[in-house]
Amino acid sequence: MPGAILQSASAPGQSPPLVLAPRPRVHRGGRVFVFYSCAFLMTGFVSMLFADLLWRTGWSASRTLLLVLFVILFLLIAIGCVHGVFGFCLRAFGDRQLITKTDYRSQSLAGTSTALVFPIYNEDIVRVYEGLRATYESLEKTGQLEHFDFFILSDSTDPDKWVEEERRWFELIQELDALGRVYYRRRLDSEGRKSGNVCDFLNTWGRRYRYFLVCDADSVMRGETLVDLVKLMEAHPTVGLVQTVPALVNAESLFGRIQQFANRLYAPLFIAGLNYWALNLGNYWGHNAIIRTEPFMQFCDLPQLPGKKPFGGQILSHDFVEAALLLRANWEVWLAYDLEGSYEEVPQGMIENAQRERRWCQGNLQHGLVLFARGLRGVSRLHLLLGICGYLAGPLWLAFLLTFNWIRWYQKYTGLSNITVHAFTPYLNLSGTAHALLIFTICMAILFLPKVLALIDLAFDGERRRAFGGLARTTVGVVGETIFSTLHAPLLMLWHTRFVVTNLFGASVGWSQQKRGPDGTTWTFAIRRHWGHTLIGLVWGVFMWRLNLYLFWWFTPVFTGMVFSIPLSAWTSRRRLGARARKLGLFLTPEETKPPVELVALRSQMRIHEITDDTTPHRPHAGLAEAILDPYVNAIHVSLLREKQLNPVYAEQLDKLGVGHKEVRGLGEKLLTQGPAQLTAPERLLIMTDARAMVWLHQQLWLRPGETLAPWWRAAIQEYSRRD
Amino acid sequence: MDLPVEPAMTRPGALTDVSGRLAGRPLEEWNAAYGKVENYFHALRIRNKALLGQLVLRVLERAMKRAPAEPNRSATQIAAEEMDRIVTEWFAEVLQEPPTNADQMLSTRGRLALLLADMPGQWQDQFLRPPPWPEEFVHSMRDAYLRAGPDFQLSKMTARPFDLGPITTLTNLGRIPYLKMAVVWGLFVLLLVALFHFTHSH
Repeated sequence: MPGAILQSASAPGQSPPLVLAPRPRVHRGGRVFVFYSCAFLMTGFVSMLFADLLWRTGWSASRTLLLVLFVILFLLIAIGCVHGVFGFCLRAFGDRQLITKTDYRSQSLAGTSTALVFPIYNEDIVRVYEGLRATYESLEKTGQLEHFDFFILSDSTDPDKWVEEERRWFELIQELDALGRVYYRRRLDSEGRKSGNVCDFLNTWGRRYRYFLVCDADSVMRGETLVDLVKLMEAHPTVGLVQTVPALVNAESLFGRIQQFANRLYAPLFIAGLNYWALNLGNYWGHNAIIRTEPFMQFCDLPQLPGKKPFGGQILSHDFVEAALLLRANWEVWLAYDLEGSYEEVPQGMIENAQRERRWCQGNLQHGLVLFARGLRGVSRLHLLLGICGYLAGPLWLAFLLTFNWIRWYQKYTGLSNITVHAFTPYLNLSGTAHALLIFTICMAILFLPKVLALIDLAFDGERRRAFGGLARTTVGVVGETIFSTLHAPLLMLWHTRFVVTNLFGASVGWSQQKRGPDGTTWTFAIRRHWGHTLIGLVWGVFMWRLNLYLFWWFTPVFTGMVFSIPLSAWTSRRRLGARARKLGLFLTPEETKPPVELVALRSQMRIHEITDDTTPHRPHAGLAEAILDPYVNAIHVSLLREKQLNPVYAEQLDKLGVGHKEVRGLGEKLLTQGPAQLTAPERLLIMTDARAMVWLHQQLWLRPGETLAPWWRAAIQEYSRRD
Repeated sequence: MDLPVEPAMTRPGALTDVSGRLAGRPLEEWNAAYGKVENYFHALRIRNKALLGQLVLRVLERAMKRAPAEPNRSATQIAAEEMDRIVTEWFAEVLQEPPTNADQMLSTRGRLALLLADMPGQWQDQFLRPPPWPEEFVHSMRDAYLRAGPDFQLSKMTARPFDLGPITTLTNLGRIPYLKMAVVWGLFVLLLVALFHFTHSH
């Protein structure tokens, strides 16, 4: 690993800026060249064949467009394929260029301090806290707990969630005996979203910690992995960030299990390939990564981008940009892809998955502007570009298919004959049809080669093979996954096209919350989300049928996914189908066949919650009622609010919000006599943010005779008193 | 159980001045007052029924003493006030704070201390009981402090704007009036040109 010289130059009244000397780039430059040259060579060769095919049937403007689209799309799949091939070779012959190959285990954690931060926003709090508990208990077993603190960083705006977060946080610290080890903080505003949330944590406590590790709401980390990450950072003082590769786990639906299977089987190859060219100029995926606090605080506060949406304003997908900023300041960013014990969860249905894709699409498109920022490293621009292409591929593919359809339609309805002429392919002695078939076969080979390589890789690794349930079952799983992804891909194409187009026009894609039944996506919700896909599939299918029956059959994989999108979406979200596939030994992953202790603990805790938690639907404003009525919840809530006032930044924000002003008492009176429904949501939140008002309300509610209170409160007290 | 409770039940004279009335109030009124006080203690997780009953009666006894002097106020109101007073006084005594509770923060601190000391689980019998209390209980109550975060170490991250070079000019294009409309018209014209071109290329 190339070394770097740490320099420091301090200005009066400022913390000394950390400056690292640039490292030589030659070695990696060679790798980037070799890697991408392979993709370009493949693209060049196949594009020539394709251009020749177009030439044989008569060149036209639309064919030029088709060729351009083909070149771009093929390049993207070729890059994917090269990742797989390089990754396979590295795994087969050994990869020495890994941060974990250095001697780091002898490092001591003495004197280090690491914060594990869990930024949350109206999440399923039971799941978040149980993930935290599993991580905490695992870390406790390493005997290194004293070097870590846990922070729940809430940005929740739903009052019910807020109160539940506080109550369950207290229960958690009682159960873990973790008072002073697991902390809770809720921000007063959600400015800057997740990155703003983390930034607020750093501004408040960052200087206490040498490192911080960002976890997602569904993250679980093994204690030993956490210790390893700190040791890695200690051993490499020029490393600013180490990203682990989280394994997808805990999926129960068929969709989730297929995704998790694909992730566990194929990702090791792709990530190894990625590490080949990225090396110490890796990327950050927003969570399950350890970060050196000082340089992050100095270089990674995100600026607003100039201009309007979709490109201007606040940076939505912050992770790639933060990694780019660290790299710009000459800090290293590594992927520690061979560190096990880093987990996250996967959406359980196609619609939930698309919802997540929509957010990421918005953020990635914005990177189009960041691409041009001066001073960024070329590799960072490459990471950003690949992210953008991941979403542009959808509309480009659609444009390719439509252009092809247009050419065929034009040919048919203008009565032009399809006379093939000779080009350089006569040397191959191919007919027009065979020529087209050859290109198609190459495309399919490029698409499926990484999957085959993943299977071969598995075949030669006995332990891993057993963890996947054996080679035969895994092969069947790969076939099943391929069929599913073939049906799913056209839907992603339509979704991505919609997201890209609406984002480019500056509009946000409105999408209501997922309606899930006890066993997945409900049929009504699936119909609402997919009727358009079905219609497009039917219309397109009929069009192709009438256009050319032969072509129709070639296009069936595209239509089938669309036409059957409703049942596909509903059925694959079913847990029982996921369970049945598991019983058959399909789509097994190592975490299913041999579950790690952390995940076993998490699942058993979640099961306990399923059995014991009150599942009756809460009345509206139940959180507000609990925070006022319950003597203990009220005390916790008020105590947390009072602690907030000690922070001058929060104190100023509280004052701006109107906390402590006379008007709040007036709103409190209205709340008692007329009920919460008569207040606006911001008014209710204002009351809940005012410690004195909350104490006063608690006292008044228990002191006043029932007849002076709103009927809503009388009912709430009655309901509350019946609770045991 | 060593509570200084002298339940009104033990002094029949104080109970029934006239038939169907208690301390000058109808029985229903005291029943409602009982319910209110019981609900609050129940909310404090006093689950032992015998203890709960004793505590409620102790509050009601004090309320009954006050009741004749305040004929315009309901028994429930008086009992709730007495309950609040008894609890606050007890908090002040245990936590060694002045019993003013002007801003109700003593009550909040007391409730939090009860929770942190695990009164509902371990010390139900000590609740509202006069001193002396077990050493461990007193320590737990007085040392109780809920830390939601470590000491602040405030700083301020500063964003450095990106230098986008000529791209910055492009991002400002959005400010040109009617730009969107012009773009839409432009696209329409392009579409026409493309249509013409494609349909006349052979």
